[in-house]
Amino acid sequence: MRKVYEDRGVEALREVTFEVDAGELVCVVGPSGCGKTTLLRCVAGLLPPTAGSVRVGGVPVTGPPPRMAVVFQEYGRSLFPWMTVRQNVELPLKEKKVPAGRRNELVAGALAAVGLADVADAHPWQLSGGMQQRVAIARAVAYEPQVLLMDEPFAAVDAQTRADLEDLILALWRDLGVTTLFVTHDIDEAVYLGQRVIVLSGSPTVVMEDLKIDLPPERDQLTTRSLPRFADLRGRLYAQIQRARGDR
Amino acid sequence: MNETGRDAARVKAPGEAPGPGRGARAGWAGRVAARVLTVAGVPALLVLAWQVYSSLSENFYVPAPGRVARAFVETWFSERLLDDVLPSLARLLAGYALAAAAGVGLGVAIGLSPRLRAAAEPVLEFFRAIPPPVLVPLIMVLAGIDDGMKVLVIASGCVWPILLNTVEGVRALDEVLSDTCRMYGVRGPSRLRHLVLRGASPQIMAGLRQALSIGIILMVISEMFASSSGLGFTIVLFQRGFEIPEMWSGILLLGLLGYTLALLFRRLERRVLSWHRGRGVDRA
Repeated sequence: MRKVYEDRGVEALREVTFEVDAGELVCVVGPSGCGKTTLLRCVAGLLPPTAGSVRVGGVPVTGPPPRMAVVFQEYGRSLFPWMTVRQNVELPLKEKKVPAGRRNELVAGALAAVGLADVADAHPWQLSGGMQQRVAIARAVAYEPQVLLMDEPFAAVDAQTRADLEDLILALWRDLGVTTLFVTHDIDEAVYLGQRVIVLSGSPTVVMEDLKIDLPPERDQLTTRSLPRFADLRGRLYAQIQRARGDR
Repeated sequence: MNETGRDAARVKAPGEAPGPGRGARAGWAGRVAARVLTVAGVPALLVLAWQVYSSLSENFYVPAPGRVARAFVETWFSERLLDDVLPSLARLLAGYALAAAAGVGLGVAIGLSPRLRAAAEPVLEFFRAIPPPVLVPLIMVLAGIDDGMKVLVIASGCVWPILLNTVEGVRALDEVLSDTCRMYGVRGPSRLRHLVLRGASPQIMAGLRQALSIGIILMVISEMFASSSGLGFTIVLFQRGFEIPEMWSGILLLGLLGYTLALLFRRLERRVLSWHRGRGVDRA
């Protein structure tokens, strides 16, 4: 994927070029205001890049690709408040013309996977923030995407919920083998989740580093985070981000 | 808070053993009485004041409430119900439905298109500013003096709040939700149904509510001009024939009608916007 993007005289992304292999989980970090969300919206086909292109499976992206799902940061605004949890998860499948039987299976499976089977008939606003974000994740999972984009999905939930949700994402990613691009501002989260971490510079944005995370594939909140290698990687990324901010 | 709670518990703990049951029942009866008093108190006082005034004064134009009540029953529980009340209501509903369809339809189109909105908005504000009753003579000339004219008058007054509120509601749709629809292939009629109309429904309902009271006013006014039936027509007829209690009873009927329609509307609104209210309570 390669993209240069300029926006109304504001250069959000100068030159951001990277690739994500099929089935990979790649995290994108960068100082705040560096255009992470812009990048993600371009990849999602919600914004056209000014120059360059986004390709998914070799096909250039001109609008939201059919087999791509997104989990937005603003869970409270990405769920339909007038629909129940089940209806929220089901709507994209109806639009995809998935037959009713298979649809029920997918919805039930996705809700069970995120541990929300028992609140399927509640409305999103009756749930806590973490649970709402799990609904959004279930909706993405039920959609059976090839590519899953996540835009700082856990920025607005508390620490404990966040750890749970991180493990949920890892488990789902492992089970489904879906190519995942995870945008975050949290270095620890990026190292913990990613197979690779891409560090963006401050604006004008370029890729500063593409770091392979050579931690064991099985990750655990306690043991992984206390590995010396975790601290190494974390320290290295931290220094990079500091430099990115200093350069500005 | 905690402190007072404990105090209350301490006071109650050694309290009289048989007390609580009787106390609770008395409290319940008291609450019902208080509620009845709150709801019926002011109307009862008003009727009483009216009674006192009419019995003291010899004013021919202010009959006693009992006299008006009798006139009410005699006048409206008769063929007038079929000849005047129902046609009035039918025209009101027809005009209101027409305005709702046009207002929501146009409002969605204008709200979704920034260019259309920029072009249409000043004109809309101008039309909204024209007091609808002045359209009656114009529409009479254009459309005659039959039912069509009255329906048109009602619709032409009701449409503006519905239209402008719909535009506002559609314009304010959540961007994240809109992006979500794009990502998950929710488009076309499905987007209209699941995102646009539902998302704008709080504003649309607000517009419909304003339009309802405008509609009732225009229903009466349109019938006061050239007409041979309807509530407005009948009230004017009574006034000209010096049938004063009957005239009052017509005003009373209009009040009751407006009240009932507003009540029905509130029930509808509660159903349509249950998600909205729930979310509001949740935030508070």
